[in-house]
Amino acid sequence: MSEEFEYHPELGRKVPVGEVDRELRRLWDEDDARTNASLINLAVYSERRGALVENSRAVRELTREHACRAILIGINREEPKASLEAWITAHCHLLNGQKAVCCEQLAFALKGRATGRLRNTVFAHLNSDLPLTLWWQGELSPIFSERLYSLVDRFVFDSSDWADPVASFARIQDASAESSNMVVQDLSWTRSYQFRVSLAALFDDPVAQAGLGTISKVEIVHHPKHRMAALQMLAWLSVQAGWRSGMELNLADARRSEAMEGYSFESKEGVAILATLTASDSAPPLALLRVEGEDLMVEVSREAGAERLSRRIQAPGHEVVTPGPVNADEPLGLVGEQLSRGGKNSLFRKILPRFLTMLSEHDWHGSVS
Amino acid sequence: MSETPVPRMSNPFREDLVSRNRPQPCTVVIFGATGDLTHRKLIPALYNLAVDGELPHGVKIVGFARRDKSDEVFRAGLEELNRKVSRSGHDEEIWGSFVQSISYHRSEFTDEDGYKRLAERLDEIDRETGGKGNRLFYIASAPDFFDDILEQLKTAGLNKAAEGCWSRVIVEKPFGTDLKTARHLNEVVNRTFDEKDTYRIDHYLGKETAQNLMVLRFANSIFEPLWNNRYIDQIQITCAENLGMEGGRGGYYDTAGALRDMVQNHLLQLMSLVAMEPPTDLSADGVRDEKVKVIRSLRQWDTAEKVAANVVRGQYQAGSVDGEPVPGYREEDRVDPESMTEAYVALRLMVDTWRWSGVPFYIRMGKRLPKKATEISVHFKAPPSVLFNTEGPSAAESNVLVIRIQPDEGISLRTVSKIPGTSMRLEPVKMDFRYATSFGKGSPEAYERLLLDAMAGDATLFARCDEVEEAWKFIDHIEHAWHESDSPPPMAEFVAGTWGPKEADDLLREDGHAWRRL
Repeated sequence: MSEEFEYHPELGRKVPVGEVDRELRRLWDEDDARTNASLINLAVYSERRGALVENSRAVRELTREHACRAILIGINREEPKASLEAWITAHCHLLNGQKAVCCEQLAFALKGRATGRLRNTVFAHLNSDLPLTLWWQGELSPIFSERLYSLVDRFVFDSSDWADPVASFARIQDASAESSNMVVQDLSWTRSYQFRVSLAALFDDPVAQAGLGTISKVEIVHHPKHRMAALQMLAWLSVQAGWRSGMELNLADARRSEAMEGYSFESKEGVAILATLTASDSAPPLALLRVEGEDLMVEVSREAGAERLSRRIQAPGHEVVTPGPVNADEPLGLVGEQLSRGGKNSLFRKILPRFLTMLSEHDWHGSVS
Repeated sequence: MSETPVPRMSNPFREDLVSRNRPQPCTVVIFGATGDLTHRKLIPALYNLAVDGELPHGVKIVGFARRDKSDEVFRAGLEELNRKVSRSGHDEEIWGSFVQSISYHRSEFTDEDGYKRLAERLDEIDRETGGKGNRLFYIASAPDFFDDILEQLKTAGLNKAAEGCWSRVIVEKPFGTDLKTARHLNEVVNRTFDEKDTYRIDHYLGKETAQNLMVLRFANSIFEPLWNNRYIDQIQITCAENLGMEGGRGGYYDTAGALRDMVQNHLLQLMSLVAMEPPTDLSADGVRDEKVKVIRSLRQWDTAEKVAANVVRGQYQAGSVDGEPVPGYREEDRVDPESMTEAYVALRLMVDTWRWSGVPFYIRMGKRLPKKATEISVHFKAPPSVLFNTEGPSAAESNVLVIRIQPDEGISLRTVSKIPGTSMRLEPVKMDFRYATSFGKGSPEAYERLLLDAMAGDATLFARCDEVEEAWKFIDHIEHAWHESDSPPPMAEFVAGTWGPKEADDLLREDGHAWRRL
């Protein structure tokens, strides 16, 4: 994207950085919008070229349900010469036939060394008193530092974007420890939400519940890009069921391969459980979660592109199949779902140690070239 | 009152997943299954819970009614209405799966054999689905059958659950027509079900803003210190309806009236949420213990003179609403031409507690008013006029906190502000929070929340027997003065499409107040 324009159809009017507030007031004076609505500051950060315009479109969609002051940040750290440009616009939506609900958007394009200016200039435009949600897109760069995350109330990222999740999660953990009030939300975790809800719903069934202690096999199928979602779901399953991490697998080769990895657990009843994660190029982000015990199979599955999950229980004389809602496939939809739910993400924090242990034991980087 | 212990979590995957009590799988039996409530509210509510993945897995629904219908015909009727009224639209795939859980059971409400067959059918459903035997009976029939249904459930043994299971009953309003019938109904219910298993539904309490009342009061430190007679001048609760007696509703309404139909239940419930002391906890009985104290503290209007001084009843005359001519109340379909039933009521209530001493609560409810709106407005006392004793009415404006229940749910706060300029002129300005603006997604229907609560054993948003009886005790005095005293207070009149009779305005004028303009 070239940022050398005065007006951009998506980003709006280019304004001097020092006059953003004055220009925003002018924008509202000129507009016949009824309501400037805002529940949060939503900052969207990306170091990818062209992301500012894409993210403006994304924010336009998000503001249909989540009133916010949006601050888009696009950074090109490779540029030798430092510069900072700003655009302002408002996303308005109809309510009762009137252009009534509007959310203002500030877009900043930073070049060169940016850390200090990000905090001092960009974040000077937060709507005071409202919490700051920072949606970080892509790899964690050096910009992700204490000076930045100390401002943040909710940090949203997508670990499926990371080339080295072990190292990146370590940074997230450090940040959480330093900034204890910051709620950390991984979109990979959100991706598995409806699978988890569906499995929980299936285990409301007395037949499934009765077989809980006999579970000996878990199968998860996922798209190769979404290993984090699959692994987190397995961590959740094992923590909630009270399974301990099991003995080393005899099938050492099965622990990790291009398409398949294995984990073992031991249930409270002493049953050994073998869990496999299988990557499939043709699968949606999460395609299957199946648990099997004595005479019991409980399964949540999704075909690629399907708008419903299929939830199934199979036991002798007892077969139930029901549909269930799915999570969005794209990060934008997942961010919307996450903003709707809010909360402190306590369940994620609960399963995080188990997940990190599993992640580091099966380090993608360490074992696969 | 004893509290229902929340069953121990036996499904570990439910833990920490959602922040609410866990609804449990059960079979829901709806009495009066061919009625409007079932078609327009209950089934769409259950369907929408299924759409959102909130309906517990394994829930089955049995419609119980007198008409001869097959499962298919019953389902087709439900589908037709669901397409029209469902909050989330109608998805063929989900409906196709959801409807498999619905079946129809034909029986007279008084037929003992019909309940025996129902019991057998419920056992059969449990056998087929592996259900544990949880049952939720929803009495949505005409009130005349409440007794019969409850007695027959008891005779068939359906009121008792198997070991480790539960059997609950949801009773729709009206909970009686006076204190005597309410006590009788409570006796019948409590002979059949334990109080902890009895859920008297008041759908107003399932509305988002009603639920938000406690949050507003007790989760925001700025309001509770001011929530008393030192700072609050008066509180108004308005429930305005622009509809009259369309759709044949005059038949029922003319036997009930505004006081019994709306005030005894919905509006006194809202008032008790506004006026109650902070509960010790958010358990069902923790909250209801405090609510019932409010009703119990109402000053009783127990003579015709007191009723005449504090209550105004009225009927509308022919007029126009939304530009359309409408008939007067006594000319409405199925209304007695000499009816003495009120289609409008305004009351001044006094809550004789330390907190509310001297603060009037004004309640008004009317049909054929200019628009549909339900709200609570809290009017704070005006500050001393020493500093800004300027000219004009605006100087006397006080702060008003408005909690809008429907439509356009939200909260607004009126403050006084200086008009820009060199002179000191004050005008009221409004800070407004609207659910639709701030949270773009729609709230679930009240019935969705309440049905889930009943499946979860959470009775917080349901009325307890003592609340119902205390409310009737208060209402009975007024009804008695109107219909049985030697000198009944007169029936006031107003033109349809206006904001009620002059006498209702006078009621507030005596105190130096006026109804809030909606």
